[in-house]
Amino acid sequence: MLLIEADGKKLFAQYGIPIPAGQVISAGDAPAAPPGAGPWMVKAQVPVGGRGKAGGIRRCNTVGEIATAAAAMLGTRLKGHGVDAVLVEQAATGRECYLALMLDPASYGVRVLYSASGGVEVEQNAAIRSRLCPPDFPAIAAVVDEVVADEPEPVRTALADTGRKLAAMLIERELMLAEINPLFVSASGIVAGDAKVVIDLNAIDRQPDIAKLVASRPGIYADACRKIEEGFDYVELDPEGEIGLVTTGAGLSMMLIDEMTARGGRPLNFCDIRTGQFRGSPVRLMRVLSWIAGRPSVKVILVNIFAGITDLGEFAELLADAIEQSPGLKVPIVARLVGNGAAAAKTILAERMPGMAVEEDLDAALVHVALITGRSGR
Amino acid sequence: MITSLTRHTPVLVQGITGRMGRAHTRNMRTFGTNIVAGTAARSDISDVDGIPVFITCAEAVAATGAIASIAMVPPADVLRAVQEAVAAGIRLVVTIAEGVPVHDALHAGRIARDAGAIWVGASTPGLAVPGEMKLGFLPNVSLHPGPLALMSKSGTLSYEVGYRLAREGIGQSYWVGVGGDAVKGVRFADLLTPLLENERTKGIVLVGEVGGDEEEEFADALAIATIRKPVYAIVAGKEAKEGVSMGHAGALTYGETGTLVSKHTRLRAAGAGVFASIEDLVTACVHELGSSR
Repeated sequence: MLLIEADGKKLFAQYGIPIPAGQVISAGDAPAAPPGAGPWMVKAQVPVGGRGKAGGIRRCNTVGEIATAAAAMLGTRLKGHGVDAVLVEQAATGRECYLALMLDPASYGVRVLYSASGGVEVEQNAAIRSRLCPPDFPAIAAVVDEVVADEPEPVRTALADTGRKLAAMLIERELMLAEINPLFVSASGIVAGDAKVVIDLNAIDRQPDIAKLVASRPGIYADACRKIEEGFDYVELDPEGEIGLVTTGAGLSMMLIDEMTARGGRPLNFCDIRTGQFRGSPVRLMRVLSWIAGRPSVKVILVNIFAGITDLGEFAELLADAIEQSPGLKVPIVARLVGNGAAAAKTILAERMPGMAVEEDLDAALVHVALITGRSGR
Repeated sequence: MITSLTRHTPVLVQGITGRMGRAHTRNMRTFGTNIVAGTAARSDISDVDGIPVFITCAEAVAATGAIASIAMVPPADVLRAVQEAVAAGIRLVVTIAEGVPVHDALHAGRIARDAGAIWVGASTPGLAVPGEMKLGFLPNVSLHPGPLALMSKSGTLSYEVGYRLAREGIGQSYWVGVGGDAVKGVRFADLLTPLLENERTKGIVLVGEVGGDEEEEFADALAIATIRKPVYAIVAGKEAKEGVSMGHAGALTYGETGTLVSKHTRLRAAGAGVFASIEDLVTACVHELGSSR
């Protein structure tokens, strides 16, 4: 998961990488004096790349401009994410370089990237230096020295030092990516203008500092907080969505969303509920149903379970239990159940949930959904 | 190695005495897998359904000659399990735990590679040679012998694709779940040459996801392959939310990295058929490979 810039910079600061003086402003915060002297940058804190091109970064020369820029960003949506906070910081100056460390899955190593000129188009930059090495500190440090070798002193030493700090961070915090673009280089030293840090949620149990960072922003990292707390995945895609999804499996859920969207449907959420972890309790189903029921735009819920090992008879009983114990649930439910015990599930639901459409064929279920939302099935 | 697996290949189950281990061992045996040994970190159980249980992989391999293993262990133990299996001489190890830390996977990958062994994982439903054997818990309802090799990052999406193809009378020669992890053992591209050289395989179905660059890597290998077989690809995650892991740690897009457009473009350029829906993919396979019905 990508951290917002402000949190990436918090990690940088912990490892001694210089960052501009800055402060995070959330919606409803009282106006505070900006850090130091201007000019300043106002940046939307959403975990996506390309914020500048999307209008999420503005340069401001006065306190008034800061207030205007912050007000224009807060509460809007940027590339699918709500802007709940902006970072106001002193604009750094100097030559813009690029330095990044990332895991390289194909070689089971680390890729070190450096360019003496950074900026938004760095991916297309022909001057970028790229080296692979084993995932250990001495190897990364040696490669960092290599890629910055052409820089004059004292810049070279400062870059080599920054590369070592990034390497320690990548290894100790079990990161997947640590990128600084732009990395400002000037006579007064170096400053990280931006921070792109991708953490590994699978390692969060043994990374208490990262866990704390994520938990401190339940709004911005809502999806990750939910995963950590609940033990499964639920990602809200469209707060005005019409189709709530109770599904298992990441790939099938994503594909279902893609296919429904292509047909004009508006899915509310992604969901990998992991039926294998229910252990005979309807609680997890009730949680998901309550989140979906909490969105008034939802017109129908689609339950889609492909049961490899799960006993669908048992699942059907739990689904009926969960619906009975969810009085807030008013919308119709379409269930598509296929695999182990599908026939038994159909019998159980016919008895306990007589109004529910239960199908074995996915396309047949999608036709029910389209009829309810009033959007064409194909 | 994967294309030489048969009902005779001797298999070891690491963690055979746990709830999962016992259940899946029975399931795999019923399917035809030749399970010859198990391991457990406890010494009070000498067998599971008549399968001898050892403390270490080394003992199990020495006593039974197992060459493939499946590890039914929690995510934090996967690195150790791969390390132990490979050190004992196991040539193919499959791991199924969900949520393996990425840096652990990086080290497990190095260990397997350096030993010349094959690791399928970190988190995968496993692999199967329908009609012969399976390692893992791929659902029998989707598994049928036939001409297509199926490789997938996603368990459930591959079940759906395999099920619909099987319903049309088209089964699989091999089925490999490579898993949705950011760092993993066997990757799509590693499977291309063995499957192109394999006579039972008439075509390849690739079930991908946004994130990473495995589909692009596969496309590069396909573009220069001298043996040609049809490739049918589907990639989930067109509507995935940028910056957020969509269930699978590997299914993460940020900026231009790992996008659907990049994967579609490269796969098409390499000569693969790329489909927007499961139904379109199934229709194309039926049209080109014919149906037994």
